[in-house]
Amino acid sequence: MANRRKRNVIDRIDFRREIKTVGARTRARGWLMISPYLAHQVIFFGVPLGWLVYLTFAKWNYLTPPRFYGLRNFTNLFSDRMFWLVLANTFNFMAYFVPLSLLLGILFGLALQKMKHFKTFVALSFLLANISSGVAYSIVFSRILSENGPINRGLYAMFGFTIPWFSRPQLAIFSIVMMVTWKFIGYYGLIFLAGLGAIPRSLYEAAELDGATRWKRFTRITLPLLNPSIVMVLVMQITLSFGIFTEPYLITGGGPMKRTYMFMMFIYDNAFRKFTSTGPGYAATISVIAAAISFGCIFLSRRLVEREVDLS
Amino acid sequence: MKARNVRLWVFELVMVALGLIWLYPYFWLVFSSFKPQSEIYTRFWPTGFTWENFSWIFETTHRMERDFVRALFNSVLVSVSVTASIIVTSAIVGYAVAKIRFWGGRFLKQFTIFQLLFPGFMFTIPTYVVVRSLGLLDSLWALIVPSLFGAWGVFMFSQSFRGIPSDYLEAARMEGASETTIIFRIMLPLSRSTASIVGLFTFIGIWDNFLWPLIVIKDYEKMPLSVLLASFSHEYGTYLGPLLAGAVIQTLPMVLLFLLFRKYFLQGISMSLK
Repeated sequence: MANRRKRNVIDRIDFRREIKTVGARTRARGWLMISPYLAHQVIFFGVPLGWLVYLTFAKWNYLTPPRFYGLRNFTNLFSDRMFWLVLANTFNFMAYFVPLSLLLGILFGLALQKMKHFKTFVALSFLLANISSGVAYSIVFSRILSENGPINRGLYAMFGFTIPWFSRPQLAIFSIVMMVTWKFIGYYGLIFLAGLGAIPRSLYEAAELDGATRWKRFTRITLPLLNPSIVMVLVMQITLSFGIFTEPYLITGGGPMKRTYMFMMFIYDNAFRKFTSTGPGYAATISVIAAAISFGCIFLSRRLVEREVDLS
Repeated sequence: MKARNVRLWVFELVMVALGLIWLYPYFWLVFSSFKPQSEIYTRFWPTGFTWENFSWIFETTHRMERDFVRALFNSVLVSVSVTASIIVTSAIVGYAVAKIRFWGGRFLKQFTIFQLLFPGFMFTIPTYVVVRSLGLLDSLWALIVPSLFGAWGVFMFSQSFRGIPSDYLEAARMEGASETTIIFRIMLPLSRSTASIVGLFTFIGIWDNFLWPLIVIKDYEKMPLSVLLASFSHEYGTYLGPLLAGAVIQTLPMVLLFLLFRKYFLQGISMSLK
């Protein structure tokens, strides 16, 4: 940095005039390089952002011109019982998903760190779950867990009972949580593995000399120093919980009793589905409020969990 | 010492068993797609393997208005063109941001970070409105055009280019190299891993995208594989064998790419941590 600054000073003294024209030409070239991107961003980021704000104050059915609707989209939303149900469902989902996959993710990270011989195989098989196609794995899980699917057949043969995975409300939520956990443990685990790798060995050695038990070392060294990774995974989990669509849409269709009906489905039905559509205005309002709540959750969990960590 | 060794081996074997359990859905899927329909639910190891599910899905589905071959073609076309475009455009814009000093670059840097803050689902509806007013609904353009450029790719490339010493560029300019040559002959080859990461994640993201094509494509002829498969599952779910064969075809390119580029996949995870 200092070097570059020094060179610039010399440049400026020696070739001031030349640099100026060259600089102008480079800048022009720079603008030329980014202008298609800027144009694209205006059309597919700027304009949509404008539409988003506009739609929340409008009523529209795509056909006749939009009508100014004041704050009624918001007041309607807050008195919509479905909105509160969807919100409750989302929290219900997070109540299982966040602790379960956080815990398993940390354990998986620790296990990977400890492994010597089959590390690659195990990491790969968990990551393969992560890159499975959303549609394909929804189809596969809905069949594996179906009433006469292989899991229930196995259960029946061994224990004489079956589990109605997708037809009881809490169980259906939990089944979807299980699927998503199956998919994401490998990913979260690798994030934790990277976090664990950044913790200096010497800390553990010093603690061991001081006679700290294994549990103490875990709670006093590992967990606090893993904090940045934990916060990051928490943010991902919250974002996922508010954005989940494919799994409930394809497997449960939101049921039973609308208990797996999540925000993205709610938005989709209101914006696009025949018969249930109330127009994009209301749907856009839902998406803005859902984003606000997810930001709130992220902010809150950061407040509660995030600690300053200095590894240097 | 010996007891400890035994414990370690038991631990390793338990983890390997867990890995195999984690792969069970894949095993089940692949086995089932090669089984006769009657054995899918009843046997793990079939009496005989058969290609009939695959040949059925390639030869019969177009008569049911669910043309798999066409959908496969659509998916490949869309994913490949978006991936190619993202790599090329992100490299150019990333170069401008990282190596040209002007306020446009500084502005883009801030803007890109600002953009990455928004959750994607907020933009689904307004982007639909824009695509609709451009008259792109029900065409493959609706799947391609909104993704031709991307903030994440620009961010990744500018990060990577910043690490390449500017002396290289000076030297190339002395030799009379144009900016295009510098980007595509020097910068991009030096950032092969970034290009692979961006390409891999973009391809998988587009190939596997379900919600967006579900919204903008209603014509079965224009559907990508993900939506066609979901629609087939909805309407013809009883044709379980062919359905699972379709799921294999939908999964296969993602798995192959992942296995080919797994090194970069891991780098991508650790890079997104920064």
